[in-house]
Amino acid sequence: MPDAVADGARLARTQSICPRCRRLLDAELLARGAKVVLTRTCPEHGGFEAIVYGNASRYLEIQRFNKPGEQPLERQTEVERGCPHDCGICPEHAQHTCLGIIEVNTACNLDCPICFADSGTGPQEHGYSLTLEQVESMLDGFVRAEGEPESVQLSGGEPSIHPQILEMLAAAKARGIKLVMLNTNGIRLARDPRFAPALAELGVHVYLQFDGFDEATQVAIRGKPLTEEKLRALDRCADAGVSVSLAAAVERGLNEHEIGPILRFGVEHPAVTGVFLQPVTHSGRFRVDSDPLDKLTNSDVIDAIAAQLPDWFRTDDFVPVPCCSPTCRSATFALYDGRDLVPLPRLVDVEQYLDYVTNRAVPDLEVREALEGLWSAKAAGGSGPVAERLECIACATAMPSELREVAARGFMVVVQDFQDPYTLDVQKLRKCCVSEITPDGRLIPFCAYNSVGYREHVREAMSQANGARLAVRR
Amino acid sequence: MSVDERSGPTTLPALDELLSEDDLKACCAAVYAHPAVRWLLGDELHPGGEATTRRALELIGVRAGERVLDVASGTGTSALLAAREFGCSVVGIEYGEGAVQAATAAARDQGLGELVSFRRGDAEAVPFGDDEFDAVLCECSLCTFPDKRLAVAEMRRVLKPGGRVALCDVVVERERLPAGLDGALATIACVGEALSRQGYEDLLDGAGLRVTAVESRAADAAVLARRVEDRLRGVRILGLDMGAGSPLTTDEAIELVRSAQRAIADGALGYVIFAARST
Repeated sequence: MPDAVADGARLARTQSICPRCRRLLDAELLARGAKVVLTRTCPEHGGFEAIVYGNASRYLEIQRFNKPGEQPLERQTEVERGCPHDCGICPEHAQHTCLGIIEVNTACNLDCPICFADSGTGPQEHGYSLTLEQVESMLDGFVRAEGEPESVQLSGGEPSIHPQILEMLAAAKARGIKLVMLNTNGIRLARDPRFAPALAELGVHVYLQFDGFDEATQVAIRGKPLTEEKLRALDRCADAGVSVSLAAAVERGLNEHEIGPILRFGVEHPAVTGVFLQPVTHSGRFRVDSDPLDKLTNSDVIDAIAAQLPDWFRTDDFVPVPCCSPTCRSATFALYDGRDLVPLPRLVDVEQYLDYVTNRAVPDLEVREALEGLWSAKAAGGSGPVAERLECIACATAMPSELREVAARGFMVVVQDFQDPYTLDVQKLRKCCVSEITPDGRLIPFCAYNSVGYREHVREAMSQANGARLAVRR
Repeated sequence: MSVDERSGPTTLPALDELLSEDDLKACCAAVYAHPAVRWLLGDELHPGGEATTRRALELIGVRAGERVLDVASGTGTSALLAAREFGCSVVGIEYGEGAVQAATAAARDQGLGELVSFRRGDAEAVPFGDDEFDAVLCECSLCTFPDKRLAVAEMRRVLKPGGRVALCDVVVERERLPAGLDGALATIACVGEALSRQGYEDLLDGAGLRVTAVESRAADAAVLARRVEDRLRGVRILGLDMGAGSPLTTDEAIELVRSAQRAIADGALGYVIFAARST
């Protein structure tokens, strides 16, 4: 591991945007106070800086987890203005899409202060609700671009309140997509006893917003206390046999201390197969005045996990996902027996397989392929493809056969940072493998969608095109 | 019964059967060939793995073309490294027949069959004549030999005048060692019969081998112990049966290795490379 990085050292050159006018600017990544800062100057609006990784030496150390990009089968846009203004995917993009996201509506049954999608219960400017036919054609476009996409997530708004959400989920399943996720706040799951069984029948995986247990946390992030409803939603999922990933938005000074309790709760709950920890994105309407030099990043979340659960996790249990940029997403899989927990990288030398830069022999290409499928944006704990890959690794690494079935039940923990207009790094964006699928058939890298202005454009175009058909108020 | 016959990928020989054998050397050799033990420790059966081997060979300055004896060569990893990276001509002797076969196969697979050979042999009666080798390597095994004085005398005997020895081994400050880190099991974990740092230096000196360098690898020992603990915890979680009538429960094994970790942290237990020259 590199020693302390000299203060002020330039780690890389890249490009970024002006958070005000969105124009493309040359930018630098600098080490400052042991952290990594993205800095650039707009001729009109002046200099902007933001923390992009909380640990400079680890930032350098993890650059080796960077797998060469793969081509999508089809690209939807041409290069005209230059990255990040031609998204869709344009020929300059250096990665295919691991996970496609379809936002089926803008309406919601909550008014979360942090919403990056700027959704809510009230009347909305440029709100929309997709039809089943639109979603089907978007799924078809995704299949054309990817061949056999493995994962898709239906989101919103709050997708569970869309009257045709079950048909939309079924349409994704019908296209052979193995992991179909519903990104939800859980309110419908808690209140409608028929909903979880319907999801179970379709084989849908639930991606449940779950930010902690403190009332203060929930009021700040979601606008009101929700623990009781979240727990009821989870119990209904357990009863119906629906697997769930908990997704926590983590904000500095607010709920960092709840990371340990969320993980402890998750490994114990029969429905929960993984936890996603996401530093809050300062896009949309949340804390737009917050200090970009005081932002939580993946390394801070990983440090908090190790500090709060020292018997279970060390920082090096979290291996960067190599298909995107190594600072975007780190993950681990954990084995748990109700008493003790051991992360998979302690039993299998994961780094040896996912390091693409250090010149090391890969002992077994089949194991590498399985690990690539696990350390990926397309993976969620408890899903069929993940269980198959865990079993493959158990087998290929000569783990005694009795253990393989247990290993297949590995609990996934993901730390996932998203970019905002302050932290947007164009080099990193080029390798993004999570895309928003738009109704006009584009695949727009998630962080570009939320930072560059695509979300606003899509909403405006949708509300104009669909006119009266849109359920702006449910 | 040979090790090979009872060590298929899924059938595990009972550890207590091994531990009750009268011949401790055979027992040690068999335990280290046990598939569950190998999976637990990974392929690196000593602290620091290849990095320690490389460092030991550097400390005694082996050169291409020199003839090197690897005492207790196991499955051949170190001997193959000496040939591959340093260009030495290496002979490994090993008490366990299964390991000799595995090492021979590995040499063939790596295309090093010309430079490296392995044979069954006892460190206390090395099957070679006097003054045959430029260097001797002995890693993490002297501590398990019942007659260490004889084993070191044998190293000296087969070395040419001025020949060098690299001895890597577990060191203990016995009076500071926590209770429990002794007995037959601890011997197999290279603790029970290990010497103090001074003890090894005296042993080498007494055999006419002058110590030229001593280097601590305690940090590597800590990493190895932590890895064993992690893997034992994995074994417990996965519910692996270590074999009917195993002398230790998994819980006890975890406690033993935690005790070893505390001893490493306290400096009561460590791992050291000794370089010496035949006088």
